[in-house]
Amino acid sequence: MTLTRTGAVRRAPGRDAGAPVRRPRGRLRRGASFWPQYAAVSPFYLIFLGFMLIPVAFSLYLAFTSWDGVGAIRFVGLRQFRFLIHDPTFWLALRNTLAIWVLGTVPMLCMALVLAGLLNSVRRFKAFYRVALFIPSVTSLVAVALFFGAVFSNSFGLVNVILQHLHLGTVAWMSDPWTIKLVIALLMTWQWTGYNAIIYLAGMQAIPKELYEAATIDGAGAVRAFFSITVPLLRPIILFTVIVSTVTGLQSFTEPQVLFGSSASVNPNSGGPGQAGLTLILYFYHQAFDNNDFGYGAAIAWAAFLVVMLFALVNWRLMARRER
Amino acid sequence: MELSRRQLLRNGLYGAAGLAVGGGAAACGTSSTSGSGGGVPASMTLWYWSGGLSDKVVADATKKFTQTKLKSSVIGGDFKQKLQTTMASGKYVPDITGIKGEDIASLLPNADKFIDLNTLGADKLASQFLDWKWKQGSTKDGKLIGFPIDIGPTALFYRPDLFQKAGLPTDPDKVAAALSTWDDYFQAGVEIKKALPKAFLVNNTGSVFGQAVGQAPERFIDAGGKFIGDQAHIRNAWELAVKTVALGIDAKINDNSWNAAIGNGTLATEIGAAWHALDIEQAAPELKGSWRVAAGPGGAANNGGSFLALPRQCADPQLAFEIVTWILNPANQARGFTDDALFPSMPAAYTLPALTAADPYFGGQSTIDVFGPAAKAIPVQYQAPADSAVSTPYFNELTNVETGKSPDTAWSDAVSQAKQVFQQQAG
Amino acid sequence: MSERTTAVTAKRLRGLTVHGVLTLAVLVSVFPFFWTVVMATNTTHDIYRDPPRLTFGSQLLVNIRHVLDNVDFFGSMGNTFLVATGTTVLVLFFDSLAAFAFAKYQFPGRRALFGLLLLTFMLPMQLALIPEFEIMVKLGWVGDLRALVIPSAANAFGIFWLRQYISGAVPDELLDAARLDGCGFFRQYRYVALPIIKPGMAFLGIYTFVGAWNDYIWPLIVLVNPEHVTLQVALAQLNTAHSTDYSMVMAGALLALVPVVTVFALFARNFMSGAIDGAVRG
Repeated sequence: MTLTRTGAVRRAPGRDAGAPVRRPRGRLRRGASFWPQYAAVSPFYLIFLGFMLIPVAFSLYLAFTSWDGVGAIRFVGLRQFRFLIHDPTFWLALRNTLAIWVLGTVPMLCMALVLAGLLNSVRRFKAFYRVALFIPSVTSLVAVALFFGAVFSNSFGLVNVILQHLHLGTVAWMSDPWTIKLVIALLMTWQWTGYNAIIYLAGMQAIPKELYEAATIDGAGAVRAFFSITVPLLRPIILFTVIVSTVTGLQSFTEPQVLFGSSASVNPNSGGPGQAGLTLILYFYHQAFDNNDFGYGAAIAWAAFLVVMLFALVNWRLMARRER
Repeated sequence: MELSRRQLLRNGLYGAAGLAVGGGAAACGTSSTSGSGGGVPASMTLWYWSGGLSDKVVADATKKFTQTKLKSSVIGGDFKQKLQTTMASGKYVPDITGIKGEDIASLLPNADKFIDLNTLGADKLASQFLDWKWKQGSTKDGKLIGFPIDIGPTALFYRPDLFQKAGLPTDPDKVAAALSTWDDYFQAGVEIKKALPKAFLVNNTGSVFGQAVGQAPERFIDAGGKFIGDQAHIRNAWELAVKTVALGIDAKINDNSWNAAIGNGTLATEIGAAWHALDIEQAAPELKGSWRVAAGPGGAANNGGSFLALPRQCADPQLAFEIVTWILNPANQARGFTDDALFPSMPAAYTLPALTAADPYFGGQSTIDVFGPAAKAIPVQYQAPADSAVSTPYFNELTNVETGKSPDTAWSDAVSQAKQVFQQQAG
Repeated sequence: MSERTTAVTAKRLRGLTVHGVLTLAVLVSVFPFFWTVVMATNTTHDIYRDPPRLTFGSQLLVNIRHVLDNVDFFGSMGNTFLVATGTTVLVLFFDSLAAFAFAKYQFPGRRALFGLLLLTFMLPMQLALIPEFEIMVKLGWVGDLRALVIPSAANAFGIFWLRQYISGAVPDELLDAARLDGCGFFRQYRYVALPIIKPGMAFLGIYTFVGAWNDYIWPLIVLVNPEHVTLQVALAQLNTAHSTDYSMVMAGALLALVPVVTVFALFARNFMSGAIDGAVRG
């Protein structure tokens, strides 16, 4: 028994944009037997329980212990957190993570918005632009980090060579604390701008053309229309990208690890000169897997989680001011 | 491997899908069974890092010991972390593993995770090796965990052509005499800078600091377990390191661009151990003949030098020990020197032709003339398990000094952080 | 008349600017690939030269051969393919089922369960790393590809996405009709919902595949057997073990990039339409 559908019904214009819960299905209360639904959602929750929830709960417990991964687990109460508060490296990692996140996310989302607006207005080459802009987000971060490390290298990097030929002097990209953060932020920007632009573009396509026509009749230019119509109507999608970017941006690990990781025995995973690239998650990795201090590592990871929650919440509040 | 959704739906599988995927994949990968059962195991694994052992010697070992299939893996990345993670998991633990010199101290407290080589007859060989090296691989109660591979007597690698341009002597003996103290060495760096503005004396502050600490009688933690990282000998090393920044002779290279710097004349000298010659040769093969070796400033120190160990899960300790001692017999140690600049830990090897031969990369110099005496003059230092972790803040703060931080502030920050790490590790 | 021509010229100019900016963006997006190819086809020495070569060399095969000598590249690529495929299949199956239930049915505890989903989204996977490693040790899955596939099957994003998609795309009338015909939950899922949500599934499938392909930190930790790793880990190993041979490392990076970019370029249209459909329904 196969039912087929024609394409007609699918083309539903974007009503209920951003509504959190779908129209309720009261009429589907067939007796009180919901076992199919529970069966349907159970695989996810079982795996989630076993491989996410339980480990997370255990890591919370670990944050109150001292453990080197091989010996016995000793309960030490709040000692790890007290050490954390007085640990200048932790605060450095926090500052680094925030700086990198701001440098990498804010310009990125603005550029994505502008790019989406531009994309929305062209008629030709649309598909080509979309694919080309999206490709960075599917590339392996390891490969890209290697590439950025080569290009921004102090002595033989392409960027410095170009600067030299323009007589602008060279920049110690991989040694100066701020340029290190900039390189990492550039990496994030390069990778995710196109992705977010496509998401915004998709949202823009749901905006009815009549609104723009009305605006043109009223004498509004393209820019004005952009800010008065497009941006407000994209609010839920912008909120979504801001939250996602916050959550992923504050968890940056691969970029500094690959850029500055080496077989150097003295300082592996330290985030480069001045530890300028040391992000919270990289610091967690270093403590847990280089120093075998799993208890302290767990404390760092939980502190990082709280930071992420805090900023996600703040962003949510800032952006969802008006009722959705 | 294709599992179509149709198939899955039809069978109503959930977790079984995962098992189906995993079942095929789990067939790959080897693991040596733990404990030595009756016969010789089918295969054994050896882990080392690039340049840790001579690849040719390892290949020959594979050919020689046909009782088992010896598989060697060159592990990249953080070797110690990989080893510890693997040992913690209990699976895929190698039968023979290398341990880097800077890591051995931190692994000795976990001596029960390794086999005491004395129980396999290592104690009979003790006299053939340098005493301090043997002790370095042993626990306080006399168990031998690490069998010595090589040692790292340090010396000064230099470019005679750049020295000549700066009006400095070029003959190794004369260089050693002229640059015998750190101040003389730094002065030479200033001269080089004047003659060749693009050339530097040292690659970064960390290498100077590390060397100076290695020349001191003690390190960061004394034999009684007390923190001494704030005392004169460490402070002295610190001052030497930051002086290079003040004098402008520090190239401040902390990343991969070191390879390019060696090749294009940015670095006029390198202070390093005998194995460092391999790094230089690989970075700048075209500079063959342009480097020489001389005794370095401040005296000799040991930097690096590694061990081979047998984790507890070794499938056949007796055979593994045989392989280890064969790979590290005098003749093969000499080959290690020729192939990978691994300076032998067995004095018996020093007179072998491979060691006394002229090295074409160093313009025909017999580098044993420098490294031999250096090896004998290495001071015996106690290295606590937490030594590596405690030293990290100093190296981090030194890079801060390179980017402009005040040396005095950096010093107090380094010391306070080191104290914290010390308490954390000891707790 | 002149007014009109000015307007037309202005419009043309604006069009050119727009295309100009977009082209610039495309160049920036694509340049790293071009440059990686340049580095991969030259020798390390050429890269270190000042100024470095800007054109393609002839060393590609040589570099690739070095890569293959040093790591089991194709082996790790095969492993990665297995992992990515397995993960994608599981995610598509589990997520679509759960999303269908959330989207079209009301059952007790639905809100709470869905709220829990939101929370999982916030949880950084790094929190769970150490304990998850311990679990893998207990299960004996350390160094095994199962350790990568099974945990990834719980993907909250997929449920979010599909739930939204299904809500808008699958008409209730069809489900009612199916129910009247005697179809239970699973039949409605299979015969009504699945055919309709193909674009959304395509998007999620490619997204998941790519994510699994590029995953780095967890494989780095759990795949302790150096002979049996995924592509990203092999690439990182290549970099740190042999960092002096830069052109070889770049050739390795190129080999790691090519499959995904190819797959993506091939399926780009499905991907885009699926993405846009999903967003429209949101």
